[in-house]
Amino acid sequence: MGKVVGIDLGTTNSLVAHVVDGTPVVIRDASGDALLPSIVSVADDNTFFVGREAQRRLLTAPTRTVYSVKRFMGRGLSDVKDEAAHVPFTFAAGNGEALRINLGSHALTPPEISAFVLRELKHRAEEHFREAGEFDFEVDRAVITVPAYFNDAQRTATRDAGRLAGLEVLRIINEPTSASLAYGLGSKDRGTVAVYDLGGGTFDISILKIEDGVFQVLATNGDTHLGGDDVDQLLVARIVEALRAAGVAALSPEATQAVRKAAIQAKWDLSERESADLRVEPAPGLPQGFRQAITRAEFEALIQPLVDRTLGPCRQALTDAGLKPADVEEVVLVGGSTRIPLVRRAVEALFGRTPHSDLNPDEVVALGAAVQADILVSGRREMLLLDVTPLSLGLETMGGVVSKIILRNSTIPASGREMFTTAVDNQTAVDMHVLQGERELVSDCRSLARFRLRGIPPMPAGLARIEVVFQIDANGILSVGARELKTGVAQSIEVKPSYGLSDEDVEQMLIDSFEHAEADFDARLLIEARNEAESVVNATEKSLRLPEFPQVAAEEFEPGEQAKIETALAELKAALLGTDREIIQTRTLVLNHATQHLAEVVMNRTVKAALSGKNVSDV
Amino acid sequence: MTPEPTKAPTLIQCHSCGAGAPLREHFCPQCTNILQLSRHGDYFTYFGLPRRLSIDPADLEQRFRDLSRKFHPDFFYNGPAPDKLASLERSSYLNDAYRVLRSPAARAEYLLALEGLSPLKMEAGATGNVKVPAALLEEVFSLNEELDEIREARESGTPREQVVARLDAARTPIARKQDEHERLVEALSARWDADQSRTTLEALRECLLERTYLRNLLATIDREAATLATA
Repeated sequence: MGKVVGIDLGTTNSLVAHVVDGTPVVIRDASGDALLPSIVSVADDNTFFVGREAQRRLLTAPTRTVYSVKRFMGRGLSDVKDEAAHVPFTFAAGNGEALRINLGSHALTPPEISAFVLRELKHRAEEHFREAGEFDFEVDRAVITVPAYFNDAQRTATRDAGRLAGLEVLRIINEPTSASLAYGLGSKDRGTVAVYDLGGGTFDISILKIEDGVFQVLATNGDTHLGGDDVDQLLVARIVEALRAAGVAALSPEATQAVRKAAIQAKWDLSERESADLRVEPAPGLPQGFRQAITRAEFEALIQPLVDRTLGPCRQALTDAGLKPADVEEVVLVGGSTRIPLVRRAVEALFGRTPHSDLNPDEVVALGAAVQADILVSGRREMLLLDVTPLSLGLETMGGVVSKIILRNSTIPASGREMFTTAVDNQTAVDMHVLQGERELVSDCRSLARFRLRGIPPMPAGLARIEVVFQIDANGILSVGARELKTGVAQSIEVKPSYGLSDEDVEQMLIDSFEHAEADFDARLLIEARNEAESVVNATEKSLRLPEFPQVAAEEFEPGEQAKIETALAELKAALLGTDREIIQTRTLVLNHATQHLAEVVMNRTVKAALSGKNVSDV
Repeated sequence: MTPEPTKAPTLIQCHSCGAGAPLREHFCPQCTNILQLSRHGDYFTYFGLPRRLSIDPADLEQRFRDLSRKFHPDFFYNGPAPDKLASLERSSYLNDAYRVLRSPAARAEYLLALEGLSPLKMEAGATGNVKVPAALLEEVFSLNEELDEIREARESGTPREQVVARLDAARTPIARKQDEHERLVEALSARWDADQSRTTLEALRECLLERTYLRNLLATIDREAATLATA
């Protein structure tokens, strides 16, 4: 058996973690990054890029680079019209089947694109285990997190992505509950906790009761299309408006991404400071770039409506849990967007207590997933997560009305039963339409699947008694079984998912992905070379900026040594603009060699300073 | 889920060692393997509780957590397929049972069904409308008349305060009746727990029906008040 990991497959960034001696740890890449940008890009020669490399290509190849694909998981073309307008990549004209995104000459479904991100994390973890000297370093199983408010189709799409990446998905767990596992670890805590999770693209609120190591979710609510992306979009709109006023009417895809990058940077800056610059780098069609100041007050006025949208779900979850805000004993913040001060203030005002965020809000979900993975494979029983289904499950009945079978916030696994009979003599099949949602009418709920119940023994109308069992498993995913009670005959059920992929689709995609494996391998080598090169560049630039550097150079350098370093640095940076792996690797070696002496000198001085400091204090 | 009224078997056969186990067991007393879920048990037996209407919520919750820890699918991940299925079905049944037993209203309705009394669905009269429970006929007639008059008054432009006052006045006797029913339900529940007599249960059923009807009446009044507030 290989290794198991926990994966947070995020809208903006993804992470992988595992448990070492009972403690969950995030696995970092060679340059020390925990976050893998959930971005996939393809070059003209069909080379795929994932993560930082793909992120760079947002600016240079925006139409061939896909980000925020999580927002499109388990959805249909008609659902995404509004969002499609904001992204530079395009959608393949579908005929009602699974949604596909154009990526170079490929048209890929969101699960296939997510699988690239998952494969990258799998590889990262395998490298980590290999370097740690593990004999069996293959990662073959994972727990993957999803927003609590994800519906059945979105969960199934996530599980498909895992399968496509060559992972057995042990469990799909909800992000806020996953975070609570990481928080509750090792503590003998009990009490009522609210987890407020505002990520890149999704918002969740979960209310939990923790006692005896059982983490029981009382209620959950949320919005699967509300997050940091929407904040960025408001800032982008503000810049676009200003540019329009300045006479720039249409933006090139490259300029659009430059604008988006500026928006994100300003958002980050405004979490730390009272004012910031919206600063767009020059791009094709925007040679001068753009610059405008924005204050935190202006920013907050802009995003207030978004923050307010999170409060309704919070109140609903409290009502469903039968609690008042004051009953909540602890509030935990999860997700990068909870760094925004206005968000923190809104949460504090609603619950009347200071929320805490002792753990890194970016990492805590992955840590919890690793804990759950460990529970599953080790059989540890000290902790148990009891989650709920976020949405009611129902069947279409006469007149387009939904009859509820399993109510929202039911603890999972949960089951519901419904009796059917036949309407005409010798009828052998019954059709069913399963929906998810809280509204009364079919047209207002989410269609999950249509089922045809076959093989009913011929008998007079109304005599057959068919019991259909709807089973939601611990992943929050539905399965359906049926039995004719008179004869005891199990009925076969044909499933036609409304948005997802059929098992045959997934199988075919697995075959296709093996065919791409070689091209993927080359791409990976390039990415690793670049990452290595970048960490050397960063380290060198840091040394050159040290305040004591001029003194070091004057006292310790050979003639021409500084020039040699600077040349090697400039050449490596030039190579990084291209995609020639061998040149990058060679120049990395050259720079490494050129800076070896410098590194030793700096290290010696640091050690000396530390030792002399110690001597002085000892005297 | 309503239990099957037919004479049910009282043993479950262990799929691992073949021994028979009583319905209240979750694990085989012979070989300790998890047992398949029987289709003939009931929620009270499952929780190891007597068939009574008063249940201590804290005790119920503790039992729920203990049982969850015993057979949640998390702990059968590496087990053979029949054990995994048993764990899934037992956990689902446990969650359903807990949801029903922890709500006094759902618990009472479930118990009535277990004892073979018809469910608490509103019975339709000859016109297809919901039949008014006999004990409430008087209240319902006068309330409906009053509501009609209030609607007329509202539409003909009577000052809002007057309409609100009339609505409040109409609400008071219904709310009082509702309170009486709450106390009666409690008393009858306690009596059932002591005597388990059919007569008590039938009286309780009637009382629960009336209570549901009263709730619907109060909801109608509240809707009327809401219309007034937004008008």
